[in-house]
Amino acid sequence: MAIKNILVIEDDRFIGEMYVRSLLHQGYTVDWMIDGSDGLVAAQNKPYDLILLDIMLPEVRGTDILKALKKSQNNASAQAKIIIMTNFDQDADSRAAMEHDADGYLIKAEITPRKLLELIGQL
Amino acid sequence: MVKDFWPHYRRRMLLGAIGMGVLLAVVVLLAVVVTTGIPEESLSFAALVVALFAGAISMNIILVHLVTVPLKTISDALTHISGEPSTVVPPNPNAEHFARSGLKPLLQLMYKSAAADKTTKKPNSSAGSLINRALSNTKAGIAVLTATGALQYANESTPISVTTDGAKNLELVFDEHDTLEQWLQNVRDTQVHAEKVWQRVPNKIVGEENRRIFDIAATFEKGSEAEVVLVLFDHTDIYQPEDDALDFISFAAHELRGPITVIRGYLDVLTLETENLLQPDQQELLKRLVVSASRLSGYINNILNASRYDRRHLQLHLTEDTMAAVYEGINDDMQLRATSQNRLLSVDIPNNLPTIAADRSSLSEVLGNLIDNAIKYSNEGGLVNVQALQDGDFVKVTVTDHGIGMPGSVMGSLFHKFYRSHRSRETVAGTGIGLYISKAIIESHGGQIGVTSTEGQGSTFWFSVPTYASVKDKLLAGGNTNTGANMITTGGSWIKNHSMYSG
Repeated sequence: MAIKNILVIEDDRFIGEMYVRSLLHQGYTVDWMIDGSDGLVAAQNKPYDLILLDIMLPEVRGTDILKALKKSQNNASAQAKIIIMTNFDQDADSRAAMEHDADGYLIKAEITPRKLLELIGQL
Repeated sequence: MVKDFWPHYRRRMLLGAIGMGVLLAVVVLLAVVVTTGIPEESLSFAALVVALFAGAISMNIILVHLVTVPLKTISDALTHISGEPSTVVPPNPNAEHFARSGLKPLLQLMYKSAAADKTTKKPNSSAGSLINRALSNTKAGIAVLTATGALQYANESTPISVTTDGAKNLELVFDEHDTLEQWLQNVRDTQVHAEKVWQRVPNKIVGEENRRIFDIAATFEKGSEAEVVLVLFDHTDIYQPEDDALDFISFAAHELRGPITVIRGYLDVLTLETENLLQPDQQELLKRLVVSASRLSGYINNILNASRYDRRHLQLHLTEDTMAAVYEGINDDMQLRATSQNRLLSVDIPNNLPTIAADRSSLSEVLGNLIDNAIKYSNEGGLVNVQALQDGDFVKVTVTDHGIGMPGSVMGSLFHKFYRSHRSRETVAGTGIGLYISKAIIESHGGQIGVTSTEGQGSTFWFSVPTYASVKDKLLAGGNTNTGANMITTGGSWIKNHSMYSG
């Protein structure tokens, strides 16, 4: 599936802008939400191909967004691929839940924008 | 004394026998005189008297001798058993006449009891209590185990855990690839005498209360009463500050993840966006920033992984992969590091090597550590060679530099946590963690890591990891859930069904 529309849900402005800037530079259409509840609303109302989802977010946590999107198929982004992006070690249970629901799990410190673009290019 | 009994008793018996003989002779003589009167021929009467006395006395002596032979034998045996100095020859229970007389079993019983008594003989009470006091007071733990590892004795300083059913066990957290159990299993079937030393063995994992850290010396003597003896030196005061330091550094390192993500990310963005705008020397400056940032990122990963490893939280997900693909992920970074420091990096990792069971992110970290070290310890303009080849059921990678090398004396400690040789501490930057975590990662893959070096000529670091085919069954049986599924984890990161990581 060719990726065109991407939603970035990331509260760190530096990191968010870094991804958004390089994605835009590559020609993708990108929306960027800073808090969790806005991110969930955006995902439910607009059909995205890919959602880059941070875990530690204000208002609604990334794991809850993931659950909400996967629980109900009545949202515009039901077909979107969801890639978790975090710098925090998760406990075994959270990891298992994410492995079940998400399409990917990336440690931000390990993934430079160039690598992220390579990955998305081949999704 | 025991030995005095027999001569004394014998003398009394002989005197008694003589007395009894005289008495008997007198009685007989009186009877003769009373019945027949005193004969006129005094010569023949005198002869009769002499014969009577001699006969009675000698017969009594012979009788006493015969009766007391067993007593003498027993007395001789007891004198021998007592250990008193004497010229008494100990009776041999195997002599035929003892068998005939029935004394043999008595002698055997005496000797046997004496021998058994000797073996269970305790040291005299004062020496025993001295040793017990010493064992209680010493800070060194002392434990005695059977060859199968069952605890027989442990003094107060030995760390012990008690199970719910009351069984006592040594409470030691050995490196899972170098345990006491593995050593015992190895030596008990193949060796008569063996010794081994473990360094830095804690009784609990990092973060738990009352944690102590030991250096342990073990000896194994096959068939001995104390087959396995462990002596544990409590070196908590030396090692704990280092572990605390790692704890603190790892906390700090975790905090550094955010900024380093941003620094590396924006350098990446800048490099992409300014490709055609910068002068060559400005591009070189940018490259140096990229190299330093990625090196910093490597240090942070090493620290975090070492901390996870010490807490037994380091999880590797082994999947089918190729060494070429593992290297490919860090090739740009490594080439950049080499060129920016004026080194030549030559890599020969054939694509057609057998696939391996690898955690890609961790394994590339090991490769990165070894190559980064080779670059650091090379001379200006030096060549670093990376080669991979098949070695039986393993794929072996060698990283060779032609730099300063090192003496044999430091090589044994290279893979220890925080080890930095005196010289490298002065001349080359580093944390002393890279080789430690590399060894942990390689051994967690079921492989080995090592080094050969000649001072002044350079070093070759190598590691080997099993081919996927050789461990596939074990991985699948072991519940390595990611194996076999079309999902690749890269240490922390993974992407489902991704062609880029399909191996």
